[in-house]
Amino acid sequence: MITFESVTKRYPGGTVAVDALDLEIPDGQTMVLVGPSGCGKTTSLRMINRLIDPSEGRIMLDGTDISTVEAPRLRRGIGYVIQQAGLFPHRTIEDNIATVPLLEGWNKAKARDRARELMDLVGLDANMARRYPYQLSGGQQQRVGVARALAADPPVLLMDEPFSAVDPIVRSSLQDELIRLQNELHKTVVLVTHDVEEAIKVGDQVAVFYPHGKIAQLDTPQHLLGSPADEYVENFLGFDRGIRRLAFFSAGQLDLETGTVLAADTTVEAARAAAQRCGEPWVLVTDGGNRQPQGWFAVSDLDRQPDRETLGSLSLPLAPLGHTFQVGRDSLRAALDATVLSRTGRAAGVDGDGRVVGITTYERLRAAIQTAEQAGLDGNPDQPAFREGRTTPEAQQAGADDAAEPAGEGVRPS
Amino acid sequence: MSWAWQNRDQIGHLLASHLYLALLPVLFGIVVAVPVGIMCVRWRWTWPPILSLTSIFYAMPSLALYLVLIAYTGLTDWTVIIPLTLFSLSVLIPNVVDGLRSVPPPVKQAAVAMGFGATRRTIQVELPLAVPVIIAGLRVATVSSISLVSVGQLIGIGGLGYLFTDGEQRDFTTEIWVGLILIILLALLFDGLLVLARRWLTPWEARAPRQERRRVVQVALRGANAGVKGGSI
Ligand SMILES: Nc1ncnc2c1ncn2[C@@H]1O[C@H](COP(=O)(O)OP(=O)(O)O)[C@@H](O)[C@H]1O
Ligand SMILES: [Mg+2]
Repeated sequence: MITFESVTKRYPGGTVAVDALDLEIPDGQTMVLVGPSGCGKTTSLRMINRLIDPSEGRIMLDGTDISTVEAPRLRRGIGYVIQQAGLFPHRTIEDNIATVPLLEGWNKAKARDRARELMDLVGLDANMARRYPYQLSGGQQQRVGVARALAADPPVLLMDEPFSAVDPIVRSSLQDELIRLQNELHKTVVLVTHDVEEAIKVGDQVAVFYPHGKIAQLDTPQHLLGSPADEYVENFLGFDRGIRRLAFFSAGQLDLETGTVLAADTTVEAARAAAQRCGEPWVLVTDGGNRQPQGWFAVSDLDRQPDRETLGSLSLPLAPLGHTFQVGRDSLRAALDATVLSRTGRAAGVDGDGRVVGITTYERLRAAIQTAEQAGLDGNPDQPAFREGRTTPEAQQAGADDAAEPAGEGVRPS
Repeated sequence: MSWAWQNRDQIGHLLASHLYLALLPVLFGIVVAVPVGIMCVRWRWTWPPILSLTSIFYAMPSLALYLVLIAYTGLTDWTVIIPLTLFSLSVLIPNVVDGLRSVPPPVKQAAVAMGFGATRRTIQVELPLAVPVIIAGLRVATVSSISLVSVGQLIGIGGLGYLFTDGEQRDFTTEIWVGLILIILLALLFDGLLVLARRWLTPWEARAPRQERRRVVQVALRGANAGVKGGSI
């Protein structure tokens, strides 16, 4: 646990970069500090590893005032990642990563083994070990930066705009990677960014800063999007926060239509009856055995087909399936997105193996959103929210007890 | 040229003494410049006075210095080596300081944040990264030193410079040409060696090979130029 106790930083010249900041950063979570440029995020972050000393107040790390710890020793227990990666140009990738273990006096072979392990962890190819930083792309350098910060297995990781200098596609994949790592490692991460999207995506908690070193709101991402504390925060979050917030509700909450999910060997007559029973203008055709979705037939087209033919044998072209969403994993936002993009105004929800679970429509989405909003507002704020692609420590524990781990979760067996 | 072959023994001796007189000052220079440069970066207040001192060394006329030194060191090699050492220092100290300061701020900051203490940071991070700039300084110091040795001939200790005065007295141009060409070749050779040393010491640098070669030629020509001027004072 990192605690700021009314910490103020005044620079020579009188700028108050951080103004009587109180902040508790719980263990094992990602805390994001977000705000406009110059609001004191970097200053706050650097005070944690004593690159900057506070003018007033104190910072406690697990109950110890950090000003009483010798700075180099404190820093070796705190990983630090910066925007430009800051790799040592004259050291190979493996030696860059092995920096802190070597400072800690590990022998060279053990430090290099550790470096290889970390390269694997952050998704770097082993054949890069002997290269120099100039031979790597920006995104790869940033991965090395993260590996280097994690090398001595510090409990705390500080990241200052770690993904701001890379292009949007690489940034997004690095963010996913951080989320995956965090699922596995549960470090105490403090990440600074000016990018709200990034804050919402990677943060367990988000502290939004006013322009002058004070916190406007500290909350979980879904509460932040659901109930901004004031107009400043609302403006800072941007206009489409309503839709973004749907990312925090599971698509599993949808009440899906199953009556019009029909195997290819269903007769046209039976299909028409099913559609009529459900009041649906479209039916979804799946291949017989394993319920993989194939595409849609309009009921109006089926009216002109012979009663006894099966759906699979018709020469009528299927309307394209469009995107599907995975019921147990994806959010309402993904389901809404799939529905909006579909020509039929419908999207198929599938399970982990791609088998159809059911169909959603705008009406069904609206109902689920209403229920979710209600539950979200009344709900217990301490209860971990649904996050796409996340596992909580508890969930991971539960997963580890099961013999079969869900596929595609990105959790590495340790 | 047959003259040069007939006198190869004497020329060989002159060459050896020329190298000795030229390179020892550079060696002394680098041994002193590195710690002094580190000090100037670590304790900033020491830099302005030392910078003034190096400017004085640089601007000081060698001839005046020889004449002053003769009173103390007489007609020994030291009378040439000491001024050249001071000259090397005047080139090398600013280069070491520039080199240490050229380390990119994010790299320095990362080193601090990783938990390097000040001394380890200097030795393991800043000094290796300063190598290209330091070697650039060494090239200037070495080439200059090789050409400046001949000035010592004014007091009779000038390595290949002897060929200039002797050739002039005997009105024998070949001898002057031989001296000049040998000095230029020496300058080119040692400059080349330093370029190789830099490549070997900095495998981590992205390079543009063609540009590099062009620069060697330029520096060598400048060195040769200095040699001609130095020899003809
Ligand atoms: N070393 C410094 N000296 C003086 N002022 C500084 C220094 N570093 C930052 N500041 C000022 O402090 C404020 C906060 O800076 P910073 O913490 O870097 O903000 P952020 O990271 O949120 O962009 C800014 O107004 C900045 O100009
Ligand atoms: Mg900043």
